[in-house]
Amino acid sequence: MGKNTSVSQTESQQELEQLRAIILGKDHHLITDIVNDQARELVSKVLAEALHDRQSKDGAINKVLLPIVEKSVENSVTHHSDRLISSLYPLMGSLVRKSVGAFLTDFIEKTNQLIEHSFTIKGLKWRVKAWQAGVSFTHYVVSQTYNYRVEHVLLIHQETGLLLKSVNLDQQSQNDADLISSMLTAINDFVGDSFQVNKDGLKEQLQTVSTDNFNLLIKPGPSAIIVAAVIGNPPQEVSEQLQITLEDIHRMYNEEFEQFNGDNAPFENTENQLRDSLLTEEKVSELSLNKKPWFAWFLILITMIFLGFQIHHWIQLEQLSNRIMVIDQQPGIVVQRIEVNDEKDITLDLMRDPDAISIEQWFNSHQLSFDDISLKERRYFSLSPEILDLRVDKILPHYPNVEKHWQGEQLFLSGNIDINKFEKLTTELADSGISTSQLDTQGLRLNNNDKLVQNTTINQQVFKALVGKISTIQLDFDIGSNQVTTAMVVDLQRLANQFLYLRKLAKQLNINVALLILGSSDNTGNRNTNSKLSKARAESTANALTQLGINKEQMFVTGLGQIDIKDVKYTSRKVMFNIMYVDNVPKSFNQSRDGT
Amino acid sequence: MIQKKICLLGASSVGKTSLVKQFVEGIFNEKYLTSIGVKVDKKLVSVDNQEVQLMLWDVEGYDRYNVFQEKYLRGAAAYIIVVDQSRKTSLLEGLDIHTLVRKITNVPSILAINKSDLQANNLLEDDEINQFLKLFNRQFNTSAKTGNNVEELFQAIAELTIEGD
Repeated sequence: MGKNTSVSQTESQQELEQLRAIILGKDHHLITDIVNDQARELVSKVLAEALHDRQSKDGAINKVLLPIVEKSVENSVTHHSDRLISSLYPLMGSLVRKSVGAFLTDFIEKTNQLIEHSFTIKGLKWRVKAWQAGVSFTHYVVSQTYNYRVEHVLLIHQETGLLLKSVNLDQQSQNDADLISSMLTAINDFVGDSFQVNKDGLKEQLQTVSTDNFNLLIKPGPSAIIVAAVIGNPPQEVSEQLQITLEDIHRMYNEEFEQFNGDNAPFENTENQLRDSLLTEEKVSELSLNKKPWFAWFLILITMIFLGFQIHHWIQLEQLSNRIMVIDQQPGIVVQRIEVNDEKDITLDLMRDPDAISIEQWFNSHQLSFDDISLKERRYFSLSPEILDLRVDKILPHYPNVEKHWQGEQLFLSGNIDINKFEKLTTELADSGISTSQLDTQGLRLNNNDKLVQNTTINQQVFKALVGKISTIQLDFDIGSNQVTTAMVVDLQRLANQFLYLRKLAKQLNINVALLILGSSDNTGNRNTNSKLSKARAESTANALTQLGINKEQMFVTGLGQIDIKDVKYTSRKVMFNIMYVDNVPKSFNQSRDGT
Repeated sequence: MIQKKICLLGASSVGKTSLVKQFVEGIFNEKYLTSIGVKVDKKLVSVDNQEVQLMLWDVEGYDRYNVFQEKYLRGAAAYIIVVDQSRKTSLLEGLDIHTLVRKITNVPSILAINKSDLQANNLLEDDEINQFLKLFNRQFNTSAKTGNNVEELFQAIAELTIEGD
């Protein structure tokens, strides 16, 4: 019944055609003219539907539109980028987030694969097998991981063997694809020529070239050959896809093939069709979808633990270094360099005053191990108050009646001391680093009454020695100055003590004494001024001595003016002292003096 | 990019392979020549500021043991007949090949008289040469050994293929 219907439909169709021809005849163009006039309206009515139908039928619309759209977008990016950017702007944030997320996931997955393939027993086994098979490890991994994977697809001009277009799975360009195309064509020609012609009189064509793990699938067409290089065993599906692609290309590029003169630019857009053939299928066993990347996580965990340990260790060493560094605050110790490489490897380079605490003792008192220290110790002389105090404490026990107290950096001595020992004490203190300006001995009472030697002869000797000592004292003044400095006061204190003692002796020996204070100046400047300056120096010295307990009436003060002696005239800014003594009983004393 | 297929033809041992070696970058071993009778190399040259990639099909020498490899000529844009100036037979064989090729295609051709570094052999009389030259578009005296005229030869063949379009 159905058959009859279709036969009768065909017949009526033919009859209709005949009728049209009879009616319209040579006026056929009238119809086409009318259609042409209304073409725009007619096409617009069905355009969307027609596109939809054709797309559903064989997907050809996509392939035609893709290059056009790509070109338009490219144009738009080049010439109207502003408009494009403002349209895309709202999408950018989420695009970037998605892209970064995808990258991280991919990175972890790849790391995991790398570790699995590199360090596992399976990976090692594969390495050995790849080595035995003489292929690269990557190649072998692909062959084991995938049932098949199409790596390259080449479109080759049939007649000339020239490469029209090639696509690769990994996006990298296959530089030698053109040479391979030509050679493959030559081999194809060779096979076709060398073996028998088939029964249709056509030459034999290569269809596949196979090795253990590698296949070349070759699909010949009238104008072009399509070749797929496949790792693994490609199923029929790949072959069919190649055939479809080849037919598509022939249909769409018929004209380009006819006009081909060696320029492959017109075939640039075949890339989309060729990419359809880059098929891949993973082996099921490898495709456990929910597989967690344990190895990557394990590696990350190990790395974190290692980093944690390193940081902990570093912090410990840093703390140890800080604890040791405290030694720098210890008086008399200056750390030059400290290097803590490890708990057992510590280098310490420092300077230590011999009076400061020993390094070993310090370490022990701070609960630090001294055994692992590589110590480089150099001596130096410290002037820090604590060390000075230590030194004073070592000196003072020899002077039982003398006591000290500090006010800031000033050392005050008080108590009783024998006049002879006083000199020794001040010298020892000076040697230990206490400057005269730091030392105040006004609180010291010089004991001489008790021990004053009664013997006249000895007293005379002592008297003369004191006269000598006093006359050795000189004060040095700054240029143009008559000011008594604190340093001078120390000397004056000593002088005052000695003079007071001298007066006691003089009394016993029945001698009258006077202290001569002689000021001088250098010879630069006006002679008159110099004369006044020398006097002023002597007077201010006398005033200081008055405050130290010497009666003004016992002093003779004079200025010598400038001292015109070649060797001293530039530096003779001095105050000098001398003792004038006169016998009350001239006879006995003069005898004694004449006798010396 | 424009690509052109060029065939190198000629008797055995006239120096086809050496000429190509002077000129190209290749990836294939010469054993292909003896196994399938052809080896392909490529070279990029510039004609009128336009890049042309020559695909050079070095076809195995033609002698009494080897038949003329017609199949490899398919689609060639031009060809070069190479002869050895010291061997007259090579010229005659070259002309034989030329005649055979002309039956199949009419593409431009160049005669390369190779081994110009060797002492000229009087076997090739000037008149004789001139008579043959008319059969070719161009002619070059080349030396694969010194490189003399090799670049010029391939440049000329590239220009011929472009002119032909």
